Order: sequence, then structure tokens, then C-alpha cells
Amino acid sequence: MKKLLLFFVSLAALATGCREEDPDGPNLNDLFGEFNIVQDIAPSQTSIDFAADGVLFFNGELSKSTNWVINLVGANTGAERNLTGFERILSSETAAWDGGANTFPAFGLEDVYVTITFPNEDGAPTINDTITITGAKVDAGQLITSFESGFGSQWTRFNQATVVGDIDCNTGLSAKGNCHYSFNGTVGWDWAIGSVTINPESGNFGLPASASNLYFNMAFKALENVGPANSFILFWFDEDDNGDGNFDEATEDRFTYEYWSQDSSWTVISKEYSTLQFDEEGLTVETNGNGLPEPGKLVSINVFFLANPMNGNSRALVDHLIFTSGNPYTP
Amino acid sequence: MHRKIILLTIALLPLFVLGQRKKFQVNGAARAYFFANTLDIADDIDTVTTRAANYGQTLLDLGISVFPNKNTEVLGMFRIRNDLGGFWGGGVSFNVRQLTLKGVAGNVVRYELGDIDLSMTPYTLWNFREEGVVNEADVFALRRDIVYYDMFYIDDNWRMQGGRAAFGLEFANVIEGIEFDGFLTRQRPASGTTEPERLYGGGTVTLRQSDDLSLAFHSVNIFDLAATIPDSILYKNNVHTLELNYTRDLNENVAVGLSAEAGVSSARYINYTDPRAPEAQNEWFYDAGITTGLKKLGITAKLAYKDVGADFLSPGAQTKRIDYSRFPGLYQQFTNAGIGRPVSYADFISGNTENSFRISEQLLPYFSAYANTNPYGLATPNRRGIYLDAERTDSTKFRSSFLRVAALTQSRGTGTDELKNFLLVEAGTDLYLNDFWGGEKDLKLDLGLRFENTSRGGEVFETIDLTSTFIDAGLSWEFVPRLDALAGAKVWSVSGNSFVNARNRFNLIENFETVNYDFTENALAAGLRYRFKGDNTLSAQYQRSSIAHADEALADYAISQMTILFSLNF
Repeated sequence: MKKLLLFFVSLAALATGCREEDPDGPNLNDLFGEFNIVQDIAPSQTSIDFAADGVLFFNGELSKSTNWVINLVGANTGAERNLTGFERILSSETAAWDGGANTFPAFGLEDVYVTITFPNEDGAPTINDTITITGAKVDAGQLITSFESGFGSQWTRFNQATVVGDIDCNTGLSAKGNCHYSFNGTVGWDWAIGSVTINPESGNFGLPASASNLYFNMAFKALENVGPANSFILFWFDEDDNGDGNFDEATEDRFTYEYWSQDSSWTVISKEYSTLQFDEEGLTVETNGNGLPEPGKLVSINVFFLANPMNGNSRALVDHLIFTSGNPYTP
Repeated sequence: MHRKIILLTIALLPLFVLGQRKKFQVNGAARAYFFANTLDIADDIDTVTTRAANYGQTLLDLGISVFPNKNTEVLGMFRIRNDLGGFWGGGVSFNVRQLTLKGVAGNVVRYELGDIDLSMTPYTLWNFREEGVVNEADVFALRRDIVYYDMFYIDDNWRMQGGRAAFGLEFANVIEGIEFDGFLTRQRPASGTTEPERLYGGGTVTLRQSDDLSLAFHSVNIFDLAATIPDSILYKNNVHTLELNYTRDLNENVAVGLSAEAGVSSARYINYTDPRAPEAQNEWFYDAGITTGLKKLGITAKLAYKDVGADFLSPGAQTKRIDYSRFPGLYQQFTNAGIGRPVSYADFISGNTENSFRISEQLLPYFSAYANTNPYGLATPNRRGIYLDAERTDSTKFRSSFLRVAALTQSRGTGTDELKNFLLVEAGTDLYLNDFWGGEKDLKLDLGLRFENTSRGGEVFETIDLTSTFIDAGLSWEFVPRLDALAGAKVWSVSGNSFVNARNRFNLIENFETVNYDFTENALAAGLRYRFKGDNTLSAQYQRSSIAHADEALADYAISQMTILFSLNF
């Protein structure tokens, strides 16, 4: 009897010591604890060259895990980025900024106003700070053009007689950098407003052979005649299937994609290149070449702005054509 | 060495079938009752709720047992119910209440098919009692028994549908015998595209060395059947335990022993797309203690230590009878704001709560003002500590008494590293006052007390101090032959704060709700009961249940009920 009892007591003591001890459920301190800032929240540096330095991050410590928002606004561009989190410790792990924006416009070389808030904490202070960008973020991807270097020698353009279509610089309206391409005019007889055809200086754009996980991206902003029934961008992606250095519409692939404007803010149009061969219903589109999207053979991108002729003046901006791998472009 | 093995049958139920000569037998029960309810609530907070609600019914449960042969019984029971006020079919229902086939196959295997009652151990399959009962007066028990009867809450059993078989082997040496008892039940059919058909099965193998020493292996298992719905989600739960019971007589008056059960549980959610679904939840428990019996004093006691892990999931043993998340059937909404009326323990007595009729894979919500120490019975997860169960029986005066004490803590914190502490004391006695002067007619006093304190230390935002005191008392006096005067009182006072766990469908805590209690809830009843021969009774009683909050923002109210009940068993 004593031995049995001893056996069970020993077994119980052994078993009790080997359980997971982490509490169940959310942390009560986070839910009901008092909020205060244990260590002031500050940027890792007040001036940053993203190309050279990488990322900027914020350091700080709170008394509890709670929602925090770091709002970053470019003083000149109006570019905006929100960093959000629920962590108690703000650090390079939880509050890092790579210089990107939520969407276009992107940040330029400018001062950035920092505002830190805690939306779930009544009476919590708002923290303000300023950072200076001395070097912009380097985009991952293959840039086709950001219209910063003028009209390309191999490019062509079409504008209706009443339309002005050209590169505009230093207007403060660009999505990224100082320049963009602008369409502006009234065409009461036709949907076609204008287009710009972007060709490489020679050969093709040097894109990878595989279309999988390759995204075409462009910044688009409709300013007049806006809305999903009123204006759209039509892209032509022309491929030199036979490799003779020319595109022949009768025998080679021209993939098209149209994007209707939604509102008057900058929008990132992103399209996975491999999906160009399918229409909205998922059916294979008819082309005159081999029918395969082959970015390595891409020799021309035509950006065509069209708008409802009944609505008066039409105006739109496009900027920053770039191919990215793996994911759509983030400004 | 000569060894003998003898097959024998094990009694699942009384062996009245054997030797039965009748071809059929009629039995059953009949009941008629009328409830007249009145809501008492201040006019300034409720001008919309109809104050009076009356209902009643007569019903007949007619059971027919057919005996095709001496080893087989087929029992069918039909329920005919007629709401008072119905007319020519209005409010009339006719249902099959029970259908069971049972018998002994080959004089070896005892079996049951159809509606069967199952119970194993408090950690595997056990229908533990609801809150609001310590040592209940007859005036309340009269009505509670109706709910038990309707819901098949017979002792610790769950009523299920399926099959059960049992047999035993008897040995001449080393051990007396081995007993096998297994069952398989269907918990639900497939429903829609998201609920696969569910079975529940298990059994017990008992090695009996002697009347003093036995070792049993218990297993209960929930398993969904694949391909019964288009989706392939499956829930599985397994609980396996070992139970040891040993007693030894030290002398003619004193016996000591050891009682222990230990085991593991495993819950798995297979092919669930919900990212919150855990792959598996594995846990263990043990409950071991010493027992003693003092025969001269009529005392039996058990002092034990238990440790039930936070992830221990045993639906068969943890399903609550009352679903506290559902509003009661009577005065479901009240006040001018139309708020739902919270469930009270008094609603169970009146049969107005949403009661479980099958086991639940989810831990049903509990009301922390009523119970914190063992809200899911002895198998409540995340509890460890000592407890004492002692009983004393006597032939006179204090004929039946008990004391139960538990001092437990959590084994894992909830939302914090600080652990909750629980102290529970329950005591009661049936005092026959007539024994003091030798009166033949019983004058019985039921006394019961329950005290519970829940506490947690730490920072201000996480501390808990909740005290709950419950008095359960009553009187039963046979003042003329067969006619009893009945009275009873239940008084529940609660004050303090608590954090209510909000669990998701996978039993994981997702949030905590802070609540503060400061209320007194009473149920007072009085009536008369006339006992006919057998269990047949006619009673009339008046009950008033009320709740009064210290917080003026909460609605105080009372419900009065006048009940006439005629209960007949044949």
C-alpha cells in the first residue's frame, strides 16, 4: 500500500513538471493594463539615404501590446506610408521602413513628417518627429521608364488633333521622380485620346524568358473623365516571335490588357505577364503568333488612353513602367 | 496446475428479463401539470412584457415490453402529449420516446440496441449535475425530477442511440475475472455540407483480482465519418484512462484504500480551413487519493489530489447540462430595451433552460457566479489541487450527511502567469427531527451550504476576488398520513469580479470579458404533496424566484409560479 502510494505520488510529481506554462488566451495586460510609454519612440536616424543605408526603423517600448500607427508623409510629394503594429517593443523587427509609400506618389528627396498614434488608448499622447530623405529607395525590378530621361529615340506617340500628349516635368504631380507622361484634351468624336509607344533602344527589353511570376506595373492617374465607365488605359504588348528584330502584327503576338479608371488618385496597375493570354472569362485569347506570352521577346509596349467622348475634356497621367518578379510593384 | 475459465454475463440492467414468463408487459408514466407564471418587475423599466404566462399539459408515456423469448426484451415507449387548451388535435403530439432491444446472446453476451444509457467514469463519460443543488428540498426536487425524466438524466448517464455489448471471463487463479463492456453510438447524422456524421464509441476492460482490487482500462472516442459530406473536415477525440481501486480492511471497523484514475486525451481537427484550428490538442490528467471507511460511524471519505491539464478535452465528461449562452424559454426577453433574460438556476427547476441531450465537442459556457471550481465536473480542465469527499449515514436523526472540500488552482494561467485559486466547500445533512422524540411521521429538515471563493493576485487589472454563498434548505413534514407539507429555500449571494473566457469553436480562449457581480438570487417555495401508493403523487406548490442586484443599472425581477402537478407511474 505504501509503495503504491509512493509510486503514484512520484509519478504525479514527475508529470506535473512537464507541461507547457504559457498562459492561455490574450495577455490581460494588453487588454486591461494601463498604457504608458516606457521608452521614448524615436527613429534610428533622422536623415537617411535608403539606397545606402537600407531601412530606417523606430525604437521604443510601451507598457503593453496595443495598436500603434506610424504615419509618414512626404513634405513635398505628399507621399504617405503607414506602419502599423501591435507589439510592445518597437524595433527593427517590428517598425522598419524601407522608404516605400502605401501607393503612388512615391517619396522623393524631401523631409518626412512622422506622427505616431495609439488608436485604442484613450488619452495616449501623439508623437511628432521629422526625418529627411537624402537618397530614395531603390526599386527591385526592371525599370522600363519613369519618363525622367525625356522622350526615347525609338518611341512613337499618337495624339488626336485636340490633345496634348507629352512628358511633363517638375509639376509636382509625378508618381515617382520629377516627370511623368500626360494626356490632356477634348475629343468629342472618338474614344481614342492618345498613346505613347515605348520601344527599347535596340533589340528587346531584356526581360526574362519565363512569364510566370513576372508582373508588369505602371502608375496611372485619371484626372478628368474619370470612372469605370468613362476612361481606360489599353496596353499593347508586342512580341517579336520570329526574332527578326521587327514586330509583324499579322504573324506575331500582340497581347492586350485594359484597365478602367476607378478614381482620381494614383493607382498601381499590375498584371502578371503570363495571364495576358487569357481574357476575363479565363478563355485563351486569339493572337497571330505562337500565342505564348514570352517577355524575353517583348519589343514594344503601347500605352493608349481612351475616354468617353460624351464627357468633355479627358486628362490622365502615367508614370513608372516597371517589371517585377514574384510580386506586384509596391511604390 | 488446473485453470478454469468460465464465461459469464455481466448485468447491464436488472436481470428481470431472465425467467420472464409474460409475453408482454405494459408500463409507463402519466403526468398532468399546470403552471401559472407571473413576472414581477418595476413598471418604470418594463412596460412591454406581458406579466402573466400560463401553460400546462397532460402527457402519457406508454411503454410496452415484448418478450419474444426468455432472453430478449423489446421495449417501445410512446409519448402522447396534449397541451391544456388544445382542442381536437391542436397542441397534441405523438412521439416515440424510447425504443430498445436488449437481451443475452448465447447465454454469454448481454446486449442492448437502440436507446441506451451510458456512463463510465468522471473523466471519460459522465453526466455531472447542474448548478443550484446542494441538498435540495423535496418541494424543488419534485419539479426537477420532471426535467431529469424528460431529458433522461438518470444518475450520471447520458442517453444515446446505438449498441452496447458486455461479457466476462472468470478465472480460478490469480485474478477472479475480466469484464468487457463496449458500446458504439451515433451522435448525429451528416448535416448539410459542413457537419459529417459522428459516432461515439468506447468501452471498459476490467481486471478484477478480488473484491478489493481491480484495474480497469477505459476508452471513449469521437470520430467523424469521412465522405459523409462533400468537405473532408473531421473531428476526432480520444480519451484513454486507467483506473485502480484497492481497499483493505484493517480491522472489523476500519477499511482503507487507494483510488486512482489517470489518462490522456487527444483532440484533432483534420482538414479544417479555419486557421485557428489547432492540429492537435494532447493532454493528460491524474486523480489519486486514499479512501477510508469507518463502519461503526457510518463514514466514508476520500482525500485525493488531482491534476487535469488545461488542454484536457473529454466531451463525454465535460458536457454541461445547461447551455448558459441560451436564454430561458419563459420571459425570454424583458425590460423596455428588450434585453435577453439571463439563465437562472431556478429556470432549470421549471424546465425553461436549454438542456444538452447529447455530448458537445465544445466546452459550453458557464456562469462564473455559480461555479468556478468545477464548472465542467471533476474533469474540468486546468485544475489541480486537493479535495475531500466525506459522507456519513445513520439510521436516525442526521440520517445522511456529507462534506465536500476542494482547494484547487489552475495548472496554467489564463491571460497572465498569475494562477486562479479556488476554494469550494459544500456541506449538507438530512435531519429527521421526529427522531428526537420518536415520532413515526417524518419531519425532515434538508440543510445544504455551498461556499466558493475564486481569487487571483497580481497587478490591479488582473486580480480576482469572487465569493459565492449558496444556501439550499427545506422542510418536509408528513402532518397527516401520506400528506406532506413542503417548504424550501435557495438563497444565492454573489459578490466580486471575474474574467469570463470567450472560447472559439476549437475551445481556445480568444478573449476575456470582465464582469462584476453583486446580487442575491432567491427561490422560495411551499406546497402540499399527497403520496399515493408507489411513486404517484399529487402536489400543489407556489414558488417565487427573484434576483436583486446592487447595481441599479441591472434589472431586478421576480417570477412567481403556481404549479399543480399530478404524477403517476405504473
